[in-house]
Amino acid sequence: MIHVENLRKEFKKTVKDPGLKGSLKSLFKPKSEKVVAVDNISFKVAEGEILGFIGPNGAGKSTVIKMLTGILTPTSGSCTINGKNPTQNRKSYVKEIGVVFGQRTQLWWDLPLRETYGVLKEIYEVPEDSYKKRMAFLNEVLELDDFISSPVRTLSLGQRMRADIAASLLHSPKVLFLDEPTIGLDVVVKDNIRKAIEHINEQEKTTVILTTHDLADIEQLSKRMVMIDKGTKVFDGSIAGLKSKYGQIRELYFETDVKNAAEVLGYAEHFSLSSDDLSVEPEGNSVKVRFNSSIVPVSDMLSYTLNKINVSDINVKGADIEEIIRRLYEQGVD
Amino acid sequence: MKRKLKIYTPFVNAGIQEVATYRVNWIFFMLGNAIACLVSYFIWAAVYSSGTKESMNGFTMPQMIVYIVLMFLTNTIIASDGAYVVGEEIREGSIIMRLIKPVSYNATFLFQELGNKLSTEIAIAVPMIITVEVIRTVLSGVLQFNAFNLLLYILSCALAYLVNFYFNICFGFIAFVIKYLWGANMMKNVVIGFLSGTVIPLSFLPDALEKVFLFLPFASLNYTPVMIYMEKYSGAQLWYYIGLQAFWMLFFFGLSKLLWKASVKRLSVQGG
Ligand SMILES: Nc1ncnc2c1ncn2[C@@H]1O[C@H](COP(=O)(O)OP(=O)(O)OP(=O)(O)O)[C@@H](O)[C@H]1O
Ligand SMILES: [Mg+2]
Repeated sequence: MIHVENLRKEFKKTVKDPGLKGSLKSLFKPKSEKVVAVDNISFKVAEGEILGFIGPNGAGKSTVIKMLTGILTPTSGSCTINGKNPTQNRKSYVKEIGVVFGQRTQLWWDLPLRETYGVLKEIYEVPEDSYKKRMAFLNEVLELDDFISSPVRTLSLGQRMRADIAASLLHSPKVLFLDEPTIGLDVVVKDNIRKAIEHINEQEKTTVILTTHDLADIEQLSKRMVMIDKGTKVFDGSIAGLKSKYGQIRELYFETDVKNAAEVLGYAEHFSLSSDDLSVEPEGNSVKVRFNSSIVPVSDMLSYTLNKINVSDINVKGADIEEIIRRLYEQGVD
Repeated sequence: MKRKLKIYTPFVNAGIQEVATYRVNWIFFMLGNAIACLVSYFIWAAVYSSGTKESMNGFTMPQMIVYIVLMFLTNTIIASDGAYVVGEEIREGSIIMRLIKPVSYNATFLFQELGNKLSTEIAIAVPMIITVEVIRTVLSGVLQFNAFNLLLYILSCALAYLVNFYFNICFGFIAFVIKYLWGANMMKNVVIGFLSGTVIPLSFLPDALEKVFLFLPFASLNYTPVMIYMEKYSGAQLWYYIGLQAFWMLFFFGLSKLLWKASVKRLSVQGG
């Protein structure tokens, strides 16, 4: 369904020295700097699949979405969606896709929501009867009724997002692109939106690509995710795969009466662990130790700790996905 | 065609809504025009009173008054701020809203502006035309109103508006590439003011220059409709100038498509 091959996007940024002098200088001799926002990314998405796109701020997620939706022209590489090239024949291409950019609305600011949908019906040539059915369906999953007669500019963020998502689905697109569809929403609305996406994906085999900073979106919606960092793809696979690949980090937690337990134990020297593989956080009379279980097995860690000092409570947790991603973002991927 | 119109009616609506929001803007625009109009009047009054001839280059003083008022009216009718809007949308990225919908970028602009105009210009055009007719009748002593001529004027204004619209869109795309829109826009307005006869009727210029200017697209903006209203053109000459307007409209229409293709490739939508 979606083929992306060696996609690359460079931006030219005009750089200007600070101050008036800098402005004048750049007026006569503009300096520009190349920024590589997306660097040779390739991936494929099958029909009916939901693909989650994650990566730290500025990784290039939105830039990829903009290229896939035909807004930006790639510097090199290609993307084909449903056999079509987004930048060629834009009008016929955008008829088959739905797009939501979480940070900006695509609705008419001054028109009541109901009229907006009427307009989209004309633009996308949706026949009257399927329009009626579609509206009833969207109303049900996204609960638009409460605000459907208000002008868009008066909607709250969550209402507007639901309205935007409904707008992107009105013409039953084959592919749906969502750039941060849950940004700034409360837990209930987030949940509704995820359910709606899931529902549509199941019912209509809509292929979905979404970017997000909320990993729960990915955990709930997609079996597969692509992680990008500084414009390059660093991981492509399932959440379980990510866990088994990078999830050797375990968290040991115990309570003890021993003062300076952390120093007494001296994990780093004893196991010769580097700071990448170990972090120790004493807090009052409890200690939190994160360690790489592929270097030091959990059993060694436990028996060493128990033999060395007296502990009153102890447990070991597997790393959760948040923790793994946090480490990946902070340290990069090798 | 009917479906096409249906697609673009929302943009007309959006345009009408906009006017309500930016009414003050519009009032200032009109006020500026009216002042320019008064200044012209006093300058020409001085020129005619110091001169010895009653008619200069085919214009008597009463005709000059009519010319000034008609220029004011025509300017308002054909005004288009496409260059500015294109620049703004590109700068702040809201252009993507148009890009991801299966509609023509230029056409959405056109209809939005038409909506804008519908709600303002009819309100001023009717009283202004009545004013012009009253002035003409009082000054010459005979009623000169000619319905067919008015129709021709409306046709010519419609063409002039389209020339202006597509010219401005082209200008917006070019300015987008070279980036200094604001300064370029100022310069554009001054140059067009001169080349289109808003400042001095083109017939006041040396013959050779007049010929060149009459052919340039700028005469197709205000000058041709005003000349038609004043019945300065007739027969074949009249149709020649209307044809020339149509030619420039098509020219800029085609150019805008080409420039759009070229600039959309260089677009770097910001934000997100
Ligand atoms: N129009 C532009 N001109 C210059 N640089 C740009 C432009 N758009 C994006 N960039 C740069 O490209 C990089 C990727 O930006 P992008 O918006 O794709 O990130 P993102 O992954 O969506 O981040 P976030 O999670 O913060 O939304 C950033 O370094 C950004 O500064
Ligand atoms: Mg983004």
